[in-house]
Amino acid sequence: MSGGGVSPLPREARPYQGQRAGLVTRLVAAAIDGAVVGLMLLGGYVALAGLLFLVDPRGFTFPDVALILSLASAFVVLVVYLTISWLISGRTYGCLVMGLRVVGPRGQKMHLVGALVRALFCAVFPVGLLWVAVSQANRSVQDTVLRTSVVYDWQPRGAPGHPIPPEGT
Amino acid sequence: MVPPRLQPAGLLELLGREGAERREPLREALSRRLDVLVPAVLSEVLGRARLTEMLLRYVDLDMVVAAVDLDAAAARLDVDEVVRRVDVDAVVDRVEVDSVVDRVDVDAVVRRVDVASVIERVDVDAVAGKLDLDGVLDRVDLTAVVLGRVDLDAVLDAVLDRIDLTSVVLERVDLDALVQAILARVDLVALAEEVIDAVDLPEIIRESTGSMASDTVRGARMQGIAADEAVGRAVDRLLLRRGRRTTQAPGVGASPERPEQTPIPAQTDRTS
Repeated sequence: MSGGGVSPLPREARPYQGQRAGLVTRLVAAAIDGAVVGLMLLGGYVALAGLLFLVDPRGFTFPDVALILSLASAFVVLVVYLTISWLISGRTYGCLVMGLRVVGPRGQKMHLVGALVRALFCAVFPVGLLWVAVSQANRSVQDTVLRTSVVYDWQPRGAPGHPIPPEGT
Repeated sequence: MVPPRLQPAGLLELLGREGAERREPLREALSRRLDVLVPAVLSEVLGRARLTEMLLRYVDLDMVVAAVDLDAAAARLDVDEVVRRVDVDAVVDRVEVDSVVDRVDVDAVVRRVDVASVIERVDVDAVAGKLDLDGVLDRVDLTAVVLGRVDLDAVLDAVLDRIDLTSVVLERVDLDALVQAILARVDLVALAEEVIDAVDLPEIIRESTGSMASDTVRGARMQGIAADEAVGRAVDRLLLRRGRRTTQAPGVGASPERPEQTPIPAQTDRTS
């Protein structure tokens, strides 16, 4: 407490703030993110169908999207979603729910290129997340390669004692 | 028939005249020899004899003293001359004051003293007027005297019993200034933080305002952390690793409390 102000965190969670998260928490967060992306795709599909219905109500049929196009769409949506989330707040919705935050090599917030590269890496090689269980530093393959970290951070705007510095610092 | 020169009378007379002629030289010679011999013999005799003992044994000193006319002797004594001749300083130097004092029975002396009459004669006011009280006070360590001999607790209790401390404080203490001084010394922010931390105010706020959803999220997070640790330990055991994982992220700042000091509850009460 000394010098750090009053912590709004529950006592039992304070010791873990700033520690790299383990496999289970990150898997749950990834599953939530997957669900979010799925909902976004579904929403996009519904929006597309609605647009087609408005254009040609008589000849309207649900669009038949090819598998490759669906996968490509999912890939793009996932990459954009992850990149924007990590760029803005360092956390996706799944990370927000599970109290996680993605930070750069020195604990700083991700910059655009770093967030984009990491998003691409995660989308291409999601299995790399399982390396967290093996790594002694709780790092996934992406974290090991890009020197990033996913830490427990229950603070909505960064921990008061050690705020995450802005990009480039 | 016998010539007169040879008659006994004449012969004795002759001898008497010769004796008279020789007696005087012999007496002088004897006197000279006695002058030499007697001091030597006397010195030897007196050296060997214990005169004091003999004197004490054989002489009745009381009778001798009684026979002496001391008054006449004292009258003849020129005391001033005696005193003038006495080297008082030398006498005082020879006196062992300590031994003299040891021999004095002070109690007996004091018993004989009529203190009341002494006090009556003393002009206490004059004595008090001559006292240098400041000098006396300078010599006395009053603090030590008070601390050693005064029952401060009893004094304090008596004083406190007699005065109304509350009214004294209210009348004579500038409470505003006192409060200002106290507030100036106290780090109120730190104090407030300590109090808030002690009562866990964030927890109270969470309990009063938190929703079921936030409780569920909190429980899910804590269970996630517990599951993370369990999986990590299991994998480490499988890989025959020893020691803890290094999970502190660089630049984020170490937590003041290490995780091993705070066990994770398997399930918080509020998640149910």
